[in-house]
Amino acid sequence: MLLFRIISTRILQLVPVFFGVTFMTFAILNLLPGNVAVAILGSYATPQSIRILNQQLGLNQPFLVRYWEWLRNFFHGNLGSSLETHQSVISILSQRAPVTFELIIVAMCIALVVAIPLAVLSAKKTGGFADRMSTLLSMIGVSVPGFVIGLALILLVAEKSKIFPASGFSPLSGGLFSNLRTIFLPAFSLGFVLLATYTRVLRSDMREQLATEDYVLTARAKGIGPWSLIVRHVLRNSLFGFITVVALNLGTLFGGTVIIESVFDLPGIGSVLVTAITDRDSPTVQGIVVVLALAVVLANLVADLLYVVLDPRVRYGNAGE
Amino acid sequence: MVTLASELVSTEEPPRRLSRRWRYSLRLWIPLTGLVLMLAACFLAPLVLHIDPPNGGLLTQAWLPPFSAGHLLGTDGLGNDVLSRCLYGGRVSFEVGFSSIGLGLIVGGTLGMVAGIKRGIVDVVIMRVLDIILAFPSLVLAMAVASYLGPNERDVIFAIAFFTIPAFARLARANTLRIRNQLFVVAARLSGQKDRRIISGHVVPHVLPRLLTFGLLTVGIAMIIEAALDFLGVGVRPPQPSWGAMMAAGQPNLSNAPWILFAPACFLFLTVVCINLLGDELRARWEDPER
Repeated sequence: MLLFRIISTRILQLVPVFFGVTFMTFAILNLLPGNVAVAILGSYATPQSIRILNQQLGLNQPFLVRYWEWLRNFFHGNLGSSLETHQSVISILSQRAPVTFELIIVAMCIALVVAIPLAVLSAKKTGGFADRMSTLLSMIGVSVPGFVIGLALILLVAEKSKIFPASGFSPLSGGLFSNLRTIFLPAFSLGFVLLATYTRVLRSDMREQLATEDYVLTARAKGIGPWSLIVRHVLRNSLFGFITVVALNLGTLFGGTVIIESVFDLPGIGSVLVTAITDRDSPTVQGIVVVLALAVVLANLVADLLYVVLDPRVRYGNAGE
Repeated sequence: MVTLASELVSTEEPPRRLSRRWRYSLRLWIPLTGLVLMLAACFLAPLVLHIDPPNGGLLTQAWLPPFSAGHLLGTDGLGNDVLSRCLYGGRVSFEVGFSSIGLGLIVGGTLGMVAGIKRGIVDVVIMRVLDIILAFPSLVLAMAVASYLGPNERDVIFAIAFFTIPAFARLARANTLRIRNQLFVVAARLSGQKDRRIISGHVVPHVLPRLLTFGLLTVGIAMIIEAALDFLGVGVRPPQPSWGAMMAAGQPNLSNAPWILFAPACFLFLTVVCINLLGDELRARWEDPER
């Protein structure tokens, strides 16, 4: 029953967040100075043609009316269409989302595969070799922008060996191998930064649990070995909180994909967004930003729910505040 | 209580303690020196030493590799000295990094402390609105804001500052809540002090050091975001030198003139590493004063 109540409150909380996210995006993109019609027609446009275009685009309506109109369309599954290419934003998204999605998934996998063992090893022996390596690695990761790593990889790997191309994308339908070849370098550059964050967070959480939690003491008293204590008890407990970190990081990750996609010339959401922003293509920017923000909100919801479902302490209501 | 207890059980021998302290102070002083040197190089060196102007190089001098005569880090495609552009470009990074974080810290910190002291509806409204900002892919929206406002340094600062507000507010609120019911705050409240006086007199001295340490760590992130915005062409643009814009200019010639891109990248990396190491060490000292 408690489980049901937690889940339903969490879902109800989404409603104000949804309106907040859409309203704020709309407000930021519409109330900033700069006229879309001028941007489209160029600075030599006559006042008359600007007025006509404003009317066609509905830009002469008051702000709140336009927001309401946009919301109504949104609930009908219509995000408007690009001012430049006249393609609908929904079709742009559905065409390009798989690339971005794949990039994020592969990057996350690379990061997790390295971060979890590294965090376990460095939590097991503080100050040991693995601990120093992971400190070094995560310090590099949080201090270098992902695109610099990407560019370094292009120079050092892509141009020397012909295995991984420096740009372009081959879809999954063209064979798994050639697909992975094109996605590996961008995913690695994105994953490296992610890896640093993951290792840092997981390591410090595991250390804290080892130092403070009662169950560690109990397990030690039972005579459990150090490996089994770390892997079966501490790691398991730390992973609960880690899920939340992974979800919270998704917003930053979207930001990273935008740049990485531009560097490696991948046909994902990010590269179309950069073009749309420089072209002042407001409907496209708005649609993409809203969808990305909602994705972050949903991911956080899923993380919270997973947390509730997986961790019995939350389920039985004695997890404390 | 806890610190008292650990003091009581502390059995460390004096000599070992001395060496540990020495090590930790190196951890503090090395990044601090690095940061001060970098600041001095960017802001003072061009004034004191003879360094080429960042613009107006000769095309006959273009594409010189590093360690050429008179151009330690070589020249770019327009013949401008890369070292000089790195130094002048660093000013942008430092200015944007510190002022955007300063702005975010002041606004976010105030909101967080107010929310923590007032509680109730004020708390709920402030934190919910900030949660919404937290949901945004901040770099993406900062790109849009910076691009729409026009490419200049001031608007990049605003765009970055806006998205740092929620993190500072959360931290300030959490720390305010921690002391909210401690005796000195309760006593101030019972003696009839207004919330504003309680915040400025009792909460700020307690919360500010933590905010500043966290702020230092985020300055590195702000510098990276700034470089990313410039790299994508929505931040500071050439001819004004900035690390991100220099990297963007170097990208097309990555294979034949990599120094144009990697020189500013190294400057950025060294600066951010120093900031992060310093921030980590300060945070560790705050969390565990025993060290």
